[in-house]
Amino acid sequence: MDMLQITGLHKRFGDKEVLKGLDLVVPEHSIFGFIGKNGSGKTTTMKTVLGLLAADAGVMMVNGEKVVYGQTATNRFIGYLPDVPEFYPFMTAQEYLRFCGEITGLKKSENEQRCKELLTLVGLGDETHRIKGFSRGMKQRLGIAQALLNRPKLLICDEPTSALDPVGRKEILDILIAVREHTTVVFSTHILSDVERICTDVAFLDHGVIGMQGTLSDIKTKYRSEEYLLETEHDTDLLMLQQAFPNLRQTGKHQMIFCERDYTMFEVLRFVADQKILLVKMERTEPTLESLFMEVTRN
Amino acid sequence: MKSLIACMKKEIMEQFRSGKLMILGILFVLFGIMNPAVAKMTPWLLETLSDSLSQSGMNVTSVTVTAMHSWVQFFKNIPMALIAFVLLESNLFTKEYQIGTLVLSLTKGLERYKVVVSKTVVLTLLWTLGYWICFAITYGYNAYFWDNAAAQNLICSVICWWLFGLWVIALTVLFSTIAKSNTGVLIGTGGSVLAIYCIGLFPKVKSYVPTLLMDGNSLIYGIRDVQTYSSVIIITVVCSVVCFATSIPIFNKKTI
Repeated sequence: MDMLQITGLHKRFGDKEVLKGLDLVVPEHSIFGFIGKNGSGKTTTMKTVLGLLAADAGVMMVNGEKVVYGQTATNRFIGYLPDVPEFYPFMTAQEYLRFCGEITGLKKSENEQRCKELLTLVGLGDETHRIKGFSRGMKQRLGIAQALLNRPKLLICDEPTSALDPVGRKEILDILIAVREHTTVVFSTHILSDVERICTDVAFLDHGVIGMQGTLSDIKTKYRSEEYLLETEHDTDLLMLQQAFPNLRQTGKHQMIFCERDYTMFEVLRFVADQKILLVKMERTEPTLESLFMEVTRN
Repeated sequence: MKSLIACMKKEIMEQFRSGKLMILGILFVLFGIMNPAVAKMTPWLLETLSDSLSQSGMNVTSVTVTAMHSWVQFFKNIPMALIAFVLLESNLFTKEYQIGTLVLSLTKGLERYKVVVSKTVVLTLLWTLGYWICFAITYGYNAYFWDNAAAQNLICSVICWWLFGLWVIALTVLFSTIAKSNTGVLIGTGGSVLAIYCIGLFPKVKSYVPTLLMDGNSLIYGIRDVQTYSSVIIITVVCSVVCFATSIPIFNKKTI
């Protein structure tokens, strides 16, 4: 069963059309990486699913129920972690979670138990200070705890790791892996290493539409094209190659990558031999998520 | 109902921990003490100033202070208390829009109308408590020093002013759901009260606009009788309910 289905989603802010008929399917129990550049419309998509923004056109279904703007009943299935979660600064973490439990209608005993469990899970079990003194990482962890409070079927996280240091990022990713058993996770990001580490499915958002979508392994197989890494001795050789093969991607001072789809290996090697270019290294590489992302966003 | 109570508890906790409750408490108690204090000090003040007043041609004779002086002070001071109350509470909604604290509550499935209801209830409760504490203090001192029987229609006049405060709160709530910043809330609320006050300057409509409820002195001096206030009381209640009822659909469609 699909936990989230979006069909033909359009959203415009003034003159700018952010979403141009977005279609997206998130299967149950997946960790879904929603990838796109800054400003590509990831947050807009998420806020529309949450009923915080009105869609101009399109249908969104969460757990088989249609999303309605304003009074959004489908939010009972959803846990949401915004990119910068904001809490009531005058409360402690425990008081805030208890408040969240009360507004979602949890029973008192269950609420107390869930608060304790989740605060322990996110490492805030012994925290007695008010939220106004929390660091960014602590707020992010509390954000995950509140999002998981009512055992959501769908957890939506908007760039949960973007502003965190490596330790904070690891903690958040570990929590997301731990909750996968009970919950479908959708998280938007532009940090591709995070996606490769924990995601089962991915979708690339570019220019308001989904450029590529599927399971991570399927996508890598489907879009597999041989990639080669070239390393030259001199800068000038690199320039010469770039002039002859414009689709070459420079990845280092003397390094570049090209796809078999763009130019055949023999074609490049012939040019290298003809021009007497000194190669330090030539290597066949595995396609990375980054190369797929670059391919989607290139046009 | 459980979520509504939780929202109200949160609002009260915020009032308490942000210090607003203490400021309001001090404000209303201070105004309550000031009314009889100013009345009590009037003869002494006039005596002190008698020399300079006589030089400018004014003769000061002995002044007999009654509870009426204190109640006149009450109706002079309470608008200032209401203005301070609105200034202090004008960011009750807008602060949440600006910081983004409502996003998490609403995405947890909290119905939007409960946000409006809980904030309105707490504002009404605070105004009611503060106002009647202020009244009780003035009443107590007046009873101790003089006799409250001097003021006619006293209860009716103070109820009218309390009702006027509730109408202003309903306007504050309405503009809080429309505006994005507390400046907008203050301009909307203040502008509406001013506009209604100006309309009330026309004699034909004077008896039907809510700003008439501010005129407590006419009631305690017996210039107007209670019956003349009945239509404006009904109009004010209806206006307040309409403001509150309108704010809910506006808030339901608001982009948070």
